[in-house]
Amino acid sequence: MARYGMVIDLDRCTGCRACVEACKVENNTPRGSFWMHVFRFEEGEFPNTRVWFMPRPCMHCDNPPCAKVCPVGARYKRDDGLVATDWKRCIGCRYCEVACPYGVNCFNWKSPEKNYYLDWQDPELTARTNGAIPPYKNPDLEGRYGPEQRHVAGGGHLKGVMEKCTFCVHRVEKGLSPACVANCPLFALHFGDLDDPDSNVSRLLREKRSFRLLEELDTQPRVHYVGSGHAPGAEARQIEHVKGRI
Amino acid sequence: MAVQERLERLPYGLGRFTPAWYALAGVLLALVALGAYAYLRQLIEGLIVTGLRDLGTMRGAAWGLYITFDIYFVGVSFAGITMAALIRLLNLEALKPVSRMAELLTIIALLLAGLVILPDLGQPLRGIVNLFVYARPQSPFFGTFTLVIAGYLFASLVYFYLDGRRDAALCAQVPSRLQGFHRLWAAGYRDTPAERQRHARTSFWLAIAIVPLLVTAHSTLGFVFGLQVGRPGWFSALQAPGFVVMAGVSGIGLLLVVAAILRRVLRLQEELTPAVFAWLGRLLLLLIVIYLYFTAVELLTSLYAGHHHEVALTRALLVGEYSALYWVSMGSLVLALLLLVGQVALRAYSIPLLVLSGLLVNVAAIGKRYLIVVPSQTHGALLPYGVGWYAPTWVEYSIILGLFALGTFLYALFVKVFPIVEVPAVQGGKR
Repeated sequence: MARYGMVIDLDRCTGCRACVEACKVENNTPRGSFWMHVFRFEEGEFPNTRVWFMPRPCMHCDNPPCAKVCPVGARYKRDDGLVATDWKRCIGCRYCEVACPYGVNCFNWKSPEKNYYLDWQDPELTARTNGAIPPYKNPDLEGRYGPEQRHVAGGGHLKGVMEKCTFCVHRVEKGLSPACVANCPLFALHFGDLDDPDSNVSRLLREKRSFRLLEELDTQPRVHYVGSGHAPGAEARQIEHVKGRI
Repeated sequence: MAVQERLERLPYGLGRFTPAWYALAGVLLALVALGAYAYLRQLIEGLIVTGLRDLGTMRGAAWGLYITFDIYFVGVSFAGITMAALIRLLNLEALKPVSRMAELLTIIALLLAGLVILPDLGQPLRGIVNLFVYARPQSPFFGTFTLVIAGYLFASLVYFYLDGRRDAALCAQVPSRLQGFHRLWAAGYRDTPAERQRHARTSFWLAIAIVPLLVTAHSTLGFVFGLQVGRPGWFSALQAPGFVVMAGVSGIGLLLVVAAILRRVLRLQEELTPAVFAWLGRLLLLLIVIYLYFTAVELLTSLYAGHHHEVALTRALLVGEYSALYWVSMGSLVLALLLLVGQVALRAYSIPLLVLSGLLVNVAAIGKRYLIVVPSQTHGALLPYGVGWYAPTWVEYSIILGLFALGTFLYALFVKVFPIVEVPAVQGGKR
């Protein structure tokens, strides 16, 4: 059994947010939902300032606080290390969301039809698309995955259900890497088997200094950061005002 | 042997629905309808109609008013069991007149606590089914559903039923529209010495069994928060005991208010003597002192030894965004404490002042619960997302108001169909 993990090279990241975009397109996430987020930080006082960037997917912790508290087992840890959300079982209590110290959970506050950037029912828009059905339903997201055959790939973004980064389980099970990794123009994101000594993630972890986020909480994240960076401390400020709106 | 005592007419205005009662019921049911309408809006539109939003990049609070009041309602339920335990285990006959009204408060509060969870769920129907089908004891929610809603409520109902059988048997002898209901409740009870003894024994053991349930049930609610390592302000061993004590404060406080209202409306001056209120006041005083001690310990720990997230959160409470609510809550608690200390010191108890203390501690209870639930989400992010924001919308306020109205209506209805204080022994057909 593979033990999947992600390695993010902070020396390579330029904060372009192609990964955020790739995730939104691949998973058709609703408005205001960012399964992947890229922090853009500034540090220090003028003239000794530094700007740096930190992509933040779900950490897929080995000791996941979210899966621990789920009252119905909709959020669970798979054998291959992915922390999955069964969108057909979730009751929408949002306990996983308040338990997660990384803030990666996204709730579906509205019904899917009303939850997108474009109003597909808009007559002006339908005139331009000649009635073609907009591709906001990725059929792969509806399927069952893993040995448990559960609905863990994001689904139809059902109202009142919790979701988050799936590590693109529907791609990983086909042997592809997650959309964010595949689309990073600078190869800052890497995905692979942490148990395989020849995988690129294992190699990077051997060669470069690494850290994980909030290690002191003992959540044991599967996302490792490598490079000359460090975990954001109390002095880290985001460059721009970030607030997802729906 | 039949019941020896005989009532000529039903006591405490049972079965006599006055125009004032209908007016009250009308207002309450209108408020319930408003809450139902608000919930319908929420069912159709989704939780977007509330002020709740995601943590993280959306910088909101995922839990808000619904969870706040769930804790509040469960907290209020403290009153009934405590009264039962004090009366049965410590033989405190003085508190007997408030026993049944406290029990009813417990049952209705638990009912509301169960109901207020539903609007908090994104998928309420799945919630009802999946919580049974896929229940996970590892989740702190499990204890809330099993111990609090099922165990605590069920034990209270059984206790309430057994405790009322004698009065039901008495009332069942009076011809009235309610006779069938009273006969059903009495279920063949005849108040023979053997039956009376059996009831006393059962109630005693039931009270003993419920006392540990009292502590564990209120604690599980504290564990929902206290076990979350990733939320500053929640992760604390003091959370569970704090919840138990605050439950006692709000429960006894509300019981004081309810008892005073019933005393006035049902003219129970003889049964509910100032001594009963004084007893409740002293108990409330003790619980407030314990709670303030817990608060001081928690403040000192987080300000002296907490990491910077913890300190930032505490600062938001003391001098920041939440300081108004924080100091109103703490001020209410301290004012209630001073009122009670004064009365105990002078050994002069005034019912209006005791009721005022009861109201004040309930303001504090709601405020403190809000301050536990919300700030840790908006100001407790461990990654630098920035400060979040939450304000409830009319939908949340309406649903909470509707639930309060529903609880009050049920209470008012029960008072009209069953004696809320024990029917005194009568002899020779006269009261």
